[in-house]
Amino acid sequence: MNQDIESGMRSALRPVAPSDEFSRKLLARVAADPQARPKSYGLMPRSARPLAWWLATSLAACLVLAVGIERHLEQQRLQQSGLEARREVLQALRVTSQKLNLAFEAVKSQSTSLADEKPGL
Amino acid sequence: MNDAGFDVLDEYLAKARSGERAALASLVRAHQRSVYSLALRMLGTRDLAEDLTQDVFMQLNGNLSTIESNRHLGFWLRQVTTNRAIDQLRRRSRVQLTSLDEEQELFCAEDGTDPLLQRHLRALLSDLSPQARAVLLLRYQEDLDPMDIARALDMPINTVKSHLKRSLETMREKTGGIPMRCEDQPT
Amino acid sequence: MRKYTMPMLLALLGPALAWAAPNPKLVMPEFPGLAQKASESVTITLDPTLLSMAGRFLDGNDPQDAATKEIIKGLRGIYVRSYTFDKDTEYAQSDIDAVRSQLSAPGWNRLVETHSRKTRANVDIYIMIDHDQAVGLALIASEPRQFTIVNIIGAIDLDKLHKLEGQFGVPKLDIDESKTPAQEPRKERGSAPPPKS
Repeated sequence: MNQDIESGMRSALRPVAPSDEFSRKLLARVAADPQARPKSYGLMPRSARPLAWWLATSLAACLVLAVGIERHLEQQRLQQSGLEARREVLQALRVTSQKLNLAFEAVKSQSTSLADEKPGL
Repeated sequence: MNDAGFDVLDEYLAKARSGERAALASLVRAHQRSVYSLALRMLGTRDLAEDLTQDVFMQLNGNLSTIESNRHLGFWLRQVTTNRAIDQLRRRSRVQLTSLDEEQELFCAEDGTDPLLQRHLRALLSDLSPQARAVLLLRYQEDLDPMDIARALDMPINTVKSHLKRSLETMREKTGGIPMRCEDQPT
Repeated sequence: MRKYTMPMLLALLGPALAWAAPNPKLVMPEFPGLAQKASESVTITLDPTLLSMAGRFLDGNDPQDAATKEIIKGLRGIYVRSYTFDKDTEYAQSDIDAVRSQLSAPGWNRLVETHSRKTRANVDIYIMIDHDQAVGLALIASEPRQFTIVNIIGAIDLDKLHKLEGQFGVPKLDIDESKTPAQEPRKERGSAPPPKS
């Protein structure tokens, strides 16, 4: 009996996957998070190859990296701005609907009081 | 997860710590099911579970450098998810949450456990206190042993064992009469 | 000469025509000093560019995002100023009057003026109508410890806006939380690794 209830629990509590849509959003948000910036790029490894070749390769790599990073950062900035704008829209509408609700509640309670005072109407 | 699986994830963890986004994404994919399920069964609604899941992974992002291994990562995620869920439930203690609205399987489980019983057990879970619920989830969903549960929830081991014992007894009482297995259902 | 007549006329009359058309955008004061006194302040300025950007990041498959997207479709601006204080009457009515006075300009119509004795909140809602369509909304809510000014430019659906409240995680409850004892949150531990097996 003990084993049955425990195995019942294990079956009942098998992990469930979130929706694909949520997974997609989660991955996008984690990727866009500024804390996900690389902590350090590390040093170029030393090489036994000729110095001139090494310098040329390093410079080329740095250039490509710089352009890539700049583009990536720009995209990240755009994404951050977009997410921030979305957050602000939601907050603005939340505040507005809360205050509208205050007004509607006040109107409702005034109507109720009037109805109580003049039941015939 | 087998050892080979852990080795690969350890590699992803190292890469994620040095900023590789693809590696970080792989880690999220590997662990999101567990985190989401914990959040869903602790908090009861999909919206709250999704918010908590996102918060946990965002928090992970800022704490990657403190994670030593994928095994530690799994532990860390379970610990943070359950503790944050317990905090939320304390703050919302008077809000009547709807019953668990996860997808319901309507077929017999592979081990033959009756789906109605499973649904009933999940519903009973939501009646438990947040701490007891967390203990059961870490035990039967995440397969942690009582010592690890005690460490994750910062709870004495005897309290963990007591929660397990009492909760299972309650469940046993309240499921009396419900067929345990599909083949036991009355025809 | 004839081909220049119309452009010249428009150039001459343009400013006058613009002046005649009602402008739903309020001039929001800076509220100097209030931000320091406030325990919480919200300043939101969303012009058409930012609204459009936000729209691209709203997920049509998510109910809350989809409802929000629907509302902001016809909007050209959302401006919010809200200040919350720790004590009653930390702000003066004159702080709000600078905004309120703009609402007596032509085009603005007061939709509702409410006062609640229970919450001690005054909420005034103004609508600007142009050619039988709402083109602007202004809302001023003053409570003992908070005041909020909202200005929305564009075609607004008040009913949709009001119904959004339940979707923003603000539960519609009748619970008296004043009796709830404060509890310390659990610390989120994440540093102790499990023992290596």
